[in-house]
Amino acid sequence: MIGSFRKKSLLAASAVIAASALALTAIPAQASRVGVTKTSIKLGITVPLTGPASPGYAKVAPAMKAYFEYVNANGGVNGRKINLIIKDDKYLPQEAVNRTNELILRDKVFAIVGALGTANNLAVNSKVRLGARGVPTLFVNTGFSGFANKRKFPTLFPLFPSYAMEAKVMGTYIKENFAGKKLGLIVQNDDFGQDALKGFATAGVKFDETIKYVSGTQSATTATTWIQKLAAARVEVVYLFGVSTATAAALAVAAQAGYRPQWILGSVGGDATTIRTATAVPVAVLNGALGASFMPDAADTADEYVKFFREINNEYNKGVDFDNNVLAGMNGGMMVAQALKAAGPKPTRKKLIAAIENRGASFASAGLAPLAFSRTSRVGYTGYWIGKYNATGAIIPVEAKNVIYTTDSGNGPVVKGTSKRPALPTKGLPE
Amino acid sequence: MHSPKFLKNPNRRRLLFFIFLGWLLLLIGDRVDELRVYQGALIAIYTLAIGSVILLTGYSGQLSIGHGAFMAVGAYAAALTQIYFSPPIIITFLAAVIITAIFGALLGGGAARLSGPYLAGTTLALALGLPTLANQFEFLGGETGLSFDVGFPPERYGFDFTLYKWFFWIAALATLIMFWVMQNILKSRYGRAWKAGRSNQAAAELLGIHVGRRKVLAFTVSAGVAGLAGALLGMISIVSPSAFPLSLSFAIITGAVLAGLTSLAGSILGGLTLVIIPEIAEAISKNVSESEAVSANVPGLITGVLLILTVLFAPNGPAEQWHHHKEKKKLKAKSKGS
Repeated sequence: MIGSFRKKSLLAASAVIAASALALTAIPAQASRVGVTKTSIKLGITVPLTGPASPGYAKVAPAMKAYFEYVNANGGVNGRKINLIIKDDKYLPQEAVNRTNELILRDKVFAIVGALGTANNLAVNSKVRLGARGVPTLFVNTGFSGFANKRKFPTLFPLFPSYAMEAKVMGTYIKENFAGKKLGLIVQNDDFGQDALKGFATAGVKFDETIKYVSGTQSATTATTWIQKLAAARVEVVYLFGVSTATAAALAVAAQAGYRPQWILGSVGGDATTIRTATAVPVAVLNGALGASFMPDAADTADEYVKFFREINNEYNKGVDFDNNVLAGMNGGMMVAQALKAAGPKPTRKKLIAAIENRGASFASAGLAPLAFSRTSRVGYTGYWIGKYNATGAIIPVEAKNVIYTTDSGNGPVVKGTSKRPALPTKGLPE
Repeated sequence: MHSPKFLKNPNRRRLLFFIFLGWLLLLIGDRVDELRVYQGALIAIYTLAIGSVILLTGYSGQLSIGHGAFMAVGAYAAALTQIYFSPPIIITFLAAVIITAIFGALLGGGAARLSGPYLAGTTLALALGLPTLANQFEFLGGETGLSFDVGFPPERYGFDFTLYKWFFWIAALATLIMFWVMQNILKSRYGRAWKAGRSNQAAAELLGIHVGRRKVLAFTVSAGVAGLAGALLGMISIVSPSAFPLSLSFAIITGAVLAGLTSLAGSILGGLTLVIIPEIAEAISKNVSESEAVSANVPGLITGVLLILTVLFAPNGPAEQWHHHKEKKKLKAKSKGS
C-alpha cells in the first residue's frame, strides 16, 4: 500500500512539474530586434585566437573591435555603441559551431560579422543554420565562391573575391608568363582548396605536381616532404595556396634546402608579417615572389585608408604590429559600420540585409576591386591586382595597384580594368 | 488500492514509466527557450554515454576511462553511413550502434584478459590515439572533420519548430529507448551474471557463469550504447578528432562517479551535472573576476570538489545513497512495528 501511495505521489509531483512547465511558457523574444537596444548593438565573431592557424588570423577580430571602439568614441552608429563579442574557434569547425551557438543562443547577438574560415563557416551554416534563423552573417573572412549562393545562404555576405577568381586571374597570368615551365601547387584539401582547383581548371592551367595537405597537419615535418617532392620533380614555379602557417613552413624548409623556385603566394597565406613571425625564415626569402591582392598593402603608407587604419591601430589596438590581417579586420569593421548605418535608426535583421543589397556596392572600403553586392548578387570584391614582394615583404604592383583584373567565379573572362575606389569618408566614419 | 492487472508486470510498468518520462520531456521541451533545448539534447547525450560507462564499470566491473573512443567510432560510423548511403536517419543510428558494438566486441575479446589498471591503461591509450587516426586517412576529413545532416524537422510541426528542438527530440527519444533496453538487459540473467562476476569471479564461475564471455558481452553492449551517444553528439556538432578529446572521456567517467557507478537511473544526474557545471562556473567567474586564469579553472575546481564530496559522503552516488536511506528508514519502521 505504501509503495503504491509513493508511486501516486510521484505521479502527482510529476504532473505538477509538467503543469508548471506549461504555465511558464516563455514568450519568444522579438526575433528581428535581438541584440539591439536604444544605446547598443551586439555583434559576434569567431576566429582562431589559438591553435595552428592562429598566427596572423588572431589579429583580425581585435582589429575590427579597435575600429568599432573608434566609432563608439565618435558617437557610435545612429547613437548606438557597437559591442563586438569575440570567440576563439581554434580554426576547428566543431569549435566554430559551439562558439556560434553561444553567440546566438546565450549572448543573443544581432549579427555575426567577419567569421573566419571556409570549413568553419560551412559547418556553422549547416549546423546552426544561420540562414533559416534569419541571422545576418556579414563579410565572412573567406573567399569560398559557394557563399555567394543566395538561395543556399540567404543571410550571408562574403566580402573577399573568391578563391576561384584568384585562381582564374593568376592562372591566366601564369599561362602568359611562365609557358613551358614546370608548375607546382600546394593546396589545402578542403572546400577552400577545391574552389581554387576549380578556378585553375577554368583558366586552363595544368600543374605538373599538385600537393594537397589536410588542414591542421601543416608543419616543418610535412613541409619537408612537400619540398622534397617538388625539388625532385624540378618544379620551377610553385603556387602556395594554403593558410599562412602552411606557406611559412614551405618557405622555411625550401630556404634551408636551398630550393629556390619562382614562388607565387595565394592571398590567404601571403601576409609577410605573419610568415615572418611564424617561422625563423628571413622575410627576404619572399623577395621576388608573386602575389595577388585586392587590398592595398599594409606597408603602403601613402594609401589614405592604410594611413587612417594605422592611426587607429596606434590608438585603439596598442602594441599590435600593423599588417594585412589588421588591415582586413578594420576594413571589415568599416563595412559593417556602414551597413548598420544604412539599416536606419531602427535596424532589424531584415533591414540590415536589404541595406547591403541596395547600397553595399557603394560602401567606402580600402579594397581596390569593385564590390558587386546587389539584390541578385552576393559577390563582394570582384578582382585582383598582381604584385611582387620586395625584400622587406611589401607587395609592389607589377603594373599599378589600381590596375585590376576582374572576373567571376564561373566561366566569365578575366578583364583588365582600372579601379575607382570611393574616397575615405570624413574621419573614416560611416556616412 | 490495487493497480490494474496490466501494471502488475514490472516490465510493463517500466515501459509505461519510460513513455511517461518521454511525454514529460516533450512538454518541457516545448516550454523552454532554445538554449535550454540545446542543453537538454546535450544532457540526453551525456546521460547515454554515462549509462554506457555505468553498465561496463558499475555492473560488469571493468574500468574503462576511454569511452570517448567508442563515441568517436559511433560518430564516424554515423557520418560515413549518412554521407555515402544517406539512408533514413534511424538506419544511420542503428549502423553506428552495430559498428561500435562490433568494435567493442573485438576490443573486449582482447581486454577481457586484462583487469584493473591494465584495462584502464588500454582504454586510455585508445581514447588518446584513436581520434587522431582521422588525420591519417583522407576520407575521415582530418581536423576539419565530417558533417552529417539529419535534415530539417518535418514541416507539419510548424514554422516555430527549431532545429535544436528537433535534435532534442531525437536525442531524448534515442536515450529513452536505449535506457529501456539497458534496464531490461540488466534485469535479465545477463545483468545478474555481470553483477555476480563483478562481486566474486570465482564464485560466479562455480555457478557455471562463463565470466570471460560475459565480460566481452558487457564490452559489446557498452560500446554500442556509447557509439549511439557519439553519433548523437556528431548530429549536433561536427564529427572531428577535436570533438572527442581525452577530456570528454574523463568528463564521462566523472559524471558516472557523480551519478553513482551502480545506478543506471543516476546517470541522468551525471548528465545534468556535466552540463550545469560550466554554467555555474561562468556565473561564478563573471562575478569574481574577468581574468582568463580564473574562468578557465573554475569548472575543474567545481568538478574536483564535487568528486571529493561524492567519494567521501556518497561513494555509491547520491541516487544510491537516497535509496539506501529509504531502505534504512523502512527497516527502522519495521523493527519498531514488531
